[in-house]
Amino acid sequence: MAGLELLSDQGYRVDGRRAGELRKIQARMGVFAQADGSAYIEQGNTKALAVVYGPHEIRGSRSRALPDRALVNCQYSSATFSTGERKRRPHGDRKSCEMGLQLRQTFEAAILTQLHPRSQIDIYVQVLQADGGTYAACVNAATLAVLDAGIPMRDFVCACSAGFVDGTALADLSHVEEAAGGPQLALALLPASGQIALLEMDARLHEDHLECVLEAAAQAARDVHTLLDRVVRQHVHEASILLGD
Amino acid sequence: MYKPRIHVTVEPLEYYRRFLKENCRPDGRELGEFRTTTVNIGSISTADGSALVKLGNTTVICGVKAEFAVPPKDAPDKGYVVPNVDLPPLCSSRFRSGPPGEEAQVASQFIADVIENSQIIQKEDLCISSGKLAWVLYCDLICLDYDGNILDACTFALLAALKNVQLPEVCINEETALAEVNLKKKSYLNIRTHPVATSFAVFDDTLLMVDPTGEEEHLATGALTVVMDEEGRLCCLHKPGGSGLTGAKLQDCMSRAVTRHKEVKKLMDEVIKSMKPK
Repeated sequence: MAGLELLSDQGYRVDGRRAGELRKIQARMGVFAQADGSAYIEQGNTKALAVVYGPHEIRGSRSRALPDRALVNCQYSSATFSTGERKRRPHGDRKSCEMGLQLRQTFEAAILTQLHPRSQIDIYVQVLQADGGTYAACVNAATLAVLDAGIPMRDFVCACSAGFVDGTALADLSHVEEAAGGPQLALALLPASGQIALLEMDARLHEDHLECVLEAAAQAARDVHTLLDRVVRQHVHEASILLGD
Repeated sequence: MYKPRIHVTVEPLEYYRRFLKENCRPDGRELGEFRTTTVNIGSISTADGSALVKLGNTTVICGVKAEFAVPPKDAPDKGYVVPNVDLPPLCSSRFRSGPPGEEAQVASQFIADVIENSQIIQKEDLCISSGKLAWVLYCDLICLDYDGNILDACTFALLAALKNVQLPEVCINEETALAEVNLKKKSYLNIRTHPVATSFAVFDDTLLMVDPTGEEEHLATGALTVVMDEEGRLCCLHKPGGSGLTGAKLQDCMSRAVTRHKEVKKLMDEVIKSMKPK
């Protein structure tokens, strides 16, 4: 967009944030009664919720059951009213399938699937409002939901997006920054070990810059981890009060 | 030793009958009592109007998006209101992913009937230029948590979302014949009636209970939904088979529906008043 500066001379972005600053994150666990685990997250204006059912018996064909570990099934759905332009197909289209697959790959790396052979874990993610960073919000929400369901995981999975504008790496892109067409990196990290669960990049970026963009995304993911950790502890604290412990 | 948790799994019907003998239900409600209803309006900023309704545990979110369309040939003065109810697998383990199941389609058709019969919006209000341009309101309802009584929650969410919709002013430029949208001037929709749905479950062919939970719907022998508007006019009566009801019982249901309408209207007025004026 002509005249829209993604990064001003003083180092401020369109919404007034600094280059490495995250948007405000608010999250809650245990929001739904029907599901085994659920969580709701707001990252700036992006609102996503994740619901986990399982581990339970495999639905459909028994032949899909894996003899040594659990099957992780992820589905991504974006509400028709979540974007500026109405989305015709909330789920089942190519983008949603790709997202579902990416989420599944991310969580297969983190969930200790060997503890539940021959069973299935369903993770459903619903985006209610999309303002950039939907993959990251979905992963963060799904992590909290899996924890709420009590399914053992190797570590938290924290995700964040990053971009590169005017020689500076930006963390946690909003929709305006994503739409500008610059390089975008989505990173899902297991913070304790520093291992990367998933890394995806769109558009061209010179290899010299990759290091700094990756570091910005990793730092942002670690900041998300601090926040999510606090949310989990708060939730457990509240739950233990209710149990009268 | 009596163990309620085992009893409810092994013989749910007997478990319920023990409570019904005392004229109450396992969650402590009376037969005519609704669950706690909460509503949150205008939380989704990408939608033109939105509302989130919680009826006990049942959660439904409604988002309304307005687009342009050409009015139908046989009614050039009318716009469209297109509702759609989605019951995704995330709301309950009974639903599978894939094309909309029977329950979702029945709910969508029910909402479409309510809109049509109650004349909640005059379709003429949605027309911008006769025969050329009109608004189409896509009302998408997503159930986030299914614990029974989906129809009441959807109707309420739809009503609240429509009250929240603001449409920008559109004028047709005479020379270019193109529509010019003025996003700075927005106005609320003219909501003519306020239809409110009240659902009942019939138990053992005789007992009527209002606002059934998922468990109660499963054990019920019949169901009934009554949609009333503020003048006590019946907009819609939905009784999909099940146990028969006498005329007297139906009258009882209608009077309960009238009371419910007052409760819901009061709640919605409170919420709208509490929202900051734009």
